Amino acid sequence: MPRLFRTTPFRLTLLFLALFAAAASLFLAYIYIATAGEVAIRTDERVSREMASLEAVHRDGGLAALNQAVIERASVDHPMLYLLTTPDGVTVSGSIAKSPIRSFSGERTWASFTLTDKDPDGAVVRQPARGLEERLPDGWRLFVGADVGESEFYVNRILRALWGAGALMVVLGLAGGLLISRDVSRSMASLNNVIDRARGGDLHVRADVRGSGDEYDELAAGLNDMLDRLERSVGGLRHAGDAIAHDLRSPLTRLRARLEAGMIDADAGRMDAKAALHQALEDADGVLRTFNAVLAIARLEAVADAPGQTSFDPSELARSVAELYEPLCEEKDLEFQLETQEGLKLKANREFVAQALANILDNAVKYTPPGGAIMTRVRRRSSGDIEISVTDTGPGIAPEDRARVIERFVRLENSRNAPGAGLGLSLVAAVARAHRGRLELDEGPGAVDGSGPGLRAALVFPMAG
Amino acid sequence: MKLLIVEDDLEASRAMATGLTEKGHQCETAGDGEAGLRAARDGRFDVLVVDRMMPRMDGVTMVETLRREGVKTPVLFLSALGEINDRVTGLNAGGDDYLVKPYALAELQARVEALARRRELGSVQTRLKVGDLEMDLIAREVHRAGVEIDLQPREFQLLEFLMRHGGQSVTRTMLLEKVWDYHFDPQTNVIDVHISRLRAKIDKGFDKPMLQTVRGAGYRLEP
Repeated sequence: MPRLFRTTPFRLTLLFLALFAAAASLFLAYIYIATAGEVAIRTDERVSREMASLEAVHRDGGLAALNQAVIERASVDHPMLYLLTTPDGVTVSGSIAKSPIRSFSGERTWASFTLTDKDPDGAVVRQPARGLEERLPDGWRLFVGADVGESEFYVNRILRALWGAGALMVVLGLAGGLLISRDVSRSMASLNNVIDRARGGDLHVRADVRGSGDEYDELAAGLNDMLDRLERSVGGLRHAGDAIAHDLRSPLTRLRARLEAGMIDADAGRMDAKAALHQALEDADGVLRTFNAVLAIARLEAVADAPGQTSFDPSELARSVAELYEPLCEEKDLEFQLETQEGLKLKANREFVAQALANILDNAVKYTPPGGAIMTRVRRRSSGDIEISVTDTGPGIAPEDRARVIERFVRLENSRNAPGAGLGLSLVAAVARAHRGRLELDEGPGAVDGSGPGLRAALVFPMAG
Repeated sequence: MKLLIVEDDLEASRAMATGLTEKGHQCETAGDGEAGLRAARDGRFDVLVVDRMMPRMDGVTMVETLRREGVKTPVLFLSALGEINDRVTGLNAGGDDYLVKPYALAELQARVEALARRRELGSVQTRLKVGDLEMDLIAREVHRAGVEIDLQPREFQLLEFLMRHGGQSVTRTMLLEKVWDYHFDPQTNVIDVHISRLRAKIDKGFDKPMLQTVRGAGYRLEP
């Protein structure tokens, strides 16, 4: 079976045609019964009336008068048929030679029959007719008939018209069904083609949107959107993989070099093997920490929205993280302040935001010299955005370096000696991005007594909804 | 104590068993979830260390099955999956603790011992006692040798955790997870500062320091 005939629209067309044909047949049958029945009734009435009039003639004037009347009516070009026969069946008068009623019951008998006649051109014309035969009181028999041809002709015309309309309907329906099926299969084929190619690994392919706004356009647009997202996330993952490989190469190289150097040192007796192993273990831990951090960043970068978001009070979160860091500040002789607003709501992944704030505080504690101050602040900006910021009185970051420190592993020259892998702020930025927010880096309170100008790092989350 | 290590990576399994045996535990190993289930059914182990992803039967299914059968042996899940949702799935399945790979042996050991201890204690306690240090969990009071020690709420929680695991090593990560409920790794020594504050409060003026630093592992509250 050709492909076209197997399509859903074509099957639906066939189904509807069948239903329509059934309905039309019922309709035709009704029309036929109604018109044909009506014609038969009218003919019968005419025949009955004629019979009654002839019986009246017979009652009034006897057989002779009846015979006379039959002869008269049969001789003129009357549309009715007459036959008067003796009780023995001998024709006395009439317009036909023989009664068409074969099995006369002896009483009033109705019959339908076909009248064969010749038209003026000599062609044989067959016409349906109805007739009534009656036995007169003295045993003679009188037949009156009428052809129903004239009316039947109209019925037949109507019938033919109806059949023609039915046939036309089937033909047009089939043709329409084929056209629709072809159109639908074309649209589907183009979508299927896109799906096939995407399945084959080509994520750049997109379906045509014709702009007609119909359901195929909707389907195509949906498919394209899905492919967009798929391509983005596959691209993100690929990028994450590349990034991890790249980011881990140098710490692993360092670890290897240290192991090698340790081995040489141990061989030469400058260092015992256990110490070298200890050193290597610490290095390996460092690599694993870096790996975890890079993985966390890469995963955040690969998603459009951070998973596991809940609604929580950012002030409460800041209090809890600040509580973790406050003793550290005291230890380092840093003044610590926390300023929060009540009644704020933030929809985010609580753990990620806590980690981001912890990373910012980590940096602040690390880079602010003793005697300085760290201020954590949670507020709603007039724009409705939620801001969690940390301001310190450390050296700050020069404006030209601010964009760069967010990149992975960038550590500025003057921070080279502080511990850490240089991933802190990139993770913060990734957390902000995964919540459609941003990390803003600005100058702190300014230079005072040879320190400063300080850094103000703000996590800004867009207004909910 | 008796430990069952259910892990399909034989190398990792052997390293764990070696390390934990060295620390005085008896270890048995199983290579997949089905074998683990068979071995753990009779409840003769003190702690089960179960890898999440294994052939034939994964760790989550194995632990769910055990819990359905009424086996209450504490379970420490090991997993390469460290996302919050993964952890929640593991704990919901009946796990008691969750350790993300890679981990240090000291971390594994501390957590296994903590789980075994929790089982020993069993019923709910209202008073904790380690050496001459006493904690009343209802009155929220701490005394050492009869002298009341004033603690901040977080210091109280920190000490409570250390006392519940008195004599055992607890790691910084464990403290961050169990006391602060954070599951990330701060880059600075935030926990150390909290510990030294607590130490100043409970050990100052006493001859014997109780809160000790365990090199390469974390801390221990000595009786």
